[in-house]
Amino acid sequence: MEHRQRAPIPTSITIAALLFLFVPLGLVVLFSFNSTGSLTFPFAGFSMRWYRQIAESPEFRSAVTNSAFVGLVVALVTLVLGTLAAYGLTRASTRWRTPIAVLLFLPLTLPGLFLGLSLLVLFARVEVTLSLATVAIAHLVYVTPYYLLIAVAALQRLDPALEEAGADLGGNGWLVFRRVTLPQVWPVLVSASCLAFALSFDEFIITFFVIGPDSTLPLFIFSTLRRTVDPSVNAISSLLLMITLALFAFAFLLTVRGARSRGLSIEPEALGSGSR
Amino acid sequence: MTGSQGSAPRVRLVDVVKRFSDVTALEAVTLDVADGEFVTLLGPSGCGKTTLLRIVAGFERPSEGRVLLGGDDVTAAPPHRRPVNMVFQRPALFPHLDVAANVAFGPRIDGLSKAEIDRVVGEALALVQLDGFQHRRSHELSGGQMQRVALARAIVNRPQVLLLDEPLSALDLKIRLEMESELRRLHREIGGTFIYVTHDQREALALSDRIVVFNHGRIEQIGSPNDVYRRPASPFVARFVGDANVIPVEVSEGGAEPAEVAVGAHRFPAPSVDISGPAWLVLRPEVVRVRPPSGDGSLRGVVQDLSFRGTGHSYRVTVEDVPEPLKAEVSGGEAFAIGATVELTWEPEACRLLPRDPGAD
Repeated sequence: MEHRQRAPIPTSITIAALLFLFVPLGLVVLFSFNSTGSLTFPFAGFSMRWYRQIAESPEFRSAVTNSAFVGLVVALVTLVLGTLAAYGLTRASTRWRTPIAVLLFLPLTLPGLFLGLSLLVLFARVEVTLSLATVAIAHLVYVTPYYLLIAVAALQRLDPALEEAGADLGGNGWLVFRRVTLPQVWPVLVSASCLAFALSFDEFIITFFVIGPDSTLPLFIFSTLRRTVDPSVNAISSLLLMITLALFAFAFLLTVRGARSRGLSIEPEALGSGSR
Repeated sequence: MTGSQGSAPRVRLVDVVKRFSDVTALEAVTLDVADGEFVTLLGPSGCGKTTLLRIVAGFERPSEGRVLLGGDDVTAAPPHRRPVNMVFQRPALFPHLDVAANVAFGPRIDGLSKAEIDRVVGEALALVQLDGFQHRRSHELSGGQMQRVALARAIVNRPQVLLLDEPLSALDLKIRLEMESELRRLHREIGGTFIYVTHDQREALALSDRIVVFNHGRIEQIGSPNDVYRRPASPFVARFVGDANVIPVEVSEGGAEPAEVAVGAHRFPAPSVDISGPAWLVLRPEVVRVRPPSGDGSLRGVVQDLSFRGTGHSYRVTVEDVPEPLKAEVSGGEAFAIGATVELTWEPEACRLLPRDPGAD
């Protein structure tokens, strides 16, 4: 006597909600290929002119280079420092563990405005000139908790007997980390690092406060929008979307592949936790 | 690996206490394990046996007491500096390495040459009958094979002591029995010292030279399987190791030879003991005989339940003045029906008397 539970939300609402979310994205991408300067229907015809236009713009090029540079620095530094922090948080037996974890995860709950402003005040106070370096530092503060969420989850899920076996067989702490722990979790760590790159790459609010004379891609888009409204903005946004999607796809594949080659069933659920 | 003196026990635990924040897992455990011995730590879950094994391995630090391996104090040594190796409950094979690389993990750390590593890995795999499995990945192995690889990965290092933490508990019964005889063979062939942890009394009786029975973080009894089974030191051991009837009785005063034991109004002889007054009578079900009432004054009861056991029957017989039905394993013969009145007898030498504190229990 089983009665199928009726879904509390009708399918039509689900579809409507999904359309609401994704149709604007589709339109932005579609009109980035529009052959006229119009941002709305009708779609005049397919053209790459807006992509060509931005590719030729030196401001755009420098913005992309800056964003990629900051993103890479942030991704690499989180990969190293974040992994160490996650390892400490999951393995150390100190009563400071919880307070430290709270502090490390706190930026998750802070509004970007607050983070940006307080970092700006700090940089002004210690008289650091605003530059891409300050942007990278600010992004690190913002990105680290997301990285930690994923890295800590991966390290916690690891069977503690593996590391114990490594130690038991004569490996000291560093050797066990290198030869037992890392081979299990590196795909997850690298994908988390990709996420760190993606988060940094399109960060706007905090960057707005702490950037110097340079520009990053999101700031460039913002300033372009204030000047002109033409499909080149669509083209830039579409590129940003593609880069982010590609990074996520790469991270996803890495996790799934890594798990499959080990005959494990690690679900890539951890990747979803940082998406916005 | 150094400093082992011929006379020192392979493992010596002196007054080892382990407290976790609010619970005491081990209370002053003292234990010597001789070279070449197969010792089993037996007890229910949470009795401290695994904690003790992990203290020997170095994964836990004792709160008090000392751990000596071959005469060397290793109480403060981390796991990787101890000449012992452990086989875990789950195989815990390194999933990114194949079988050979798993087994080679220890030898590689020891800096053996490539050729030597291949040789010792081959030997270790041959010992666990997995020669030729070198290039399998761990997920291509069955549970029993994985545990064999884990064994090979441990014994390849020629540990002074091999620690086994319920290594068979995750396996099917059939494979478990196979692995038991494998372990016995392995112990004979490599002649090492094994410390084995289990909650399975059958495994303990089948494998060990000596059994250490644990309860509530304390050693209840140390002895050979035969000793522990035939001469349990406490009602707990009697009940935990094998099946037992544990009956509250009164031993009459006077040091009679043989002693006389009273259950309610019923009296019968028992082996002489130096206890008198309240006592526990321990009777293994297989020493209890069931027969039709003869009227010679034997203990009478009513069959409450019986089940067929292939070689015979197992009965539960309700007896007046005995709080729990008595269990009897009888081989062959006619079955008595449920509700039938029967007489229960046993040889006086087959029962064991233990002191009983009338306040407790």
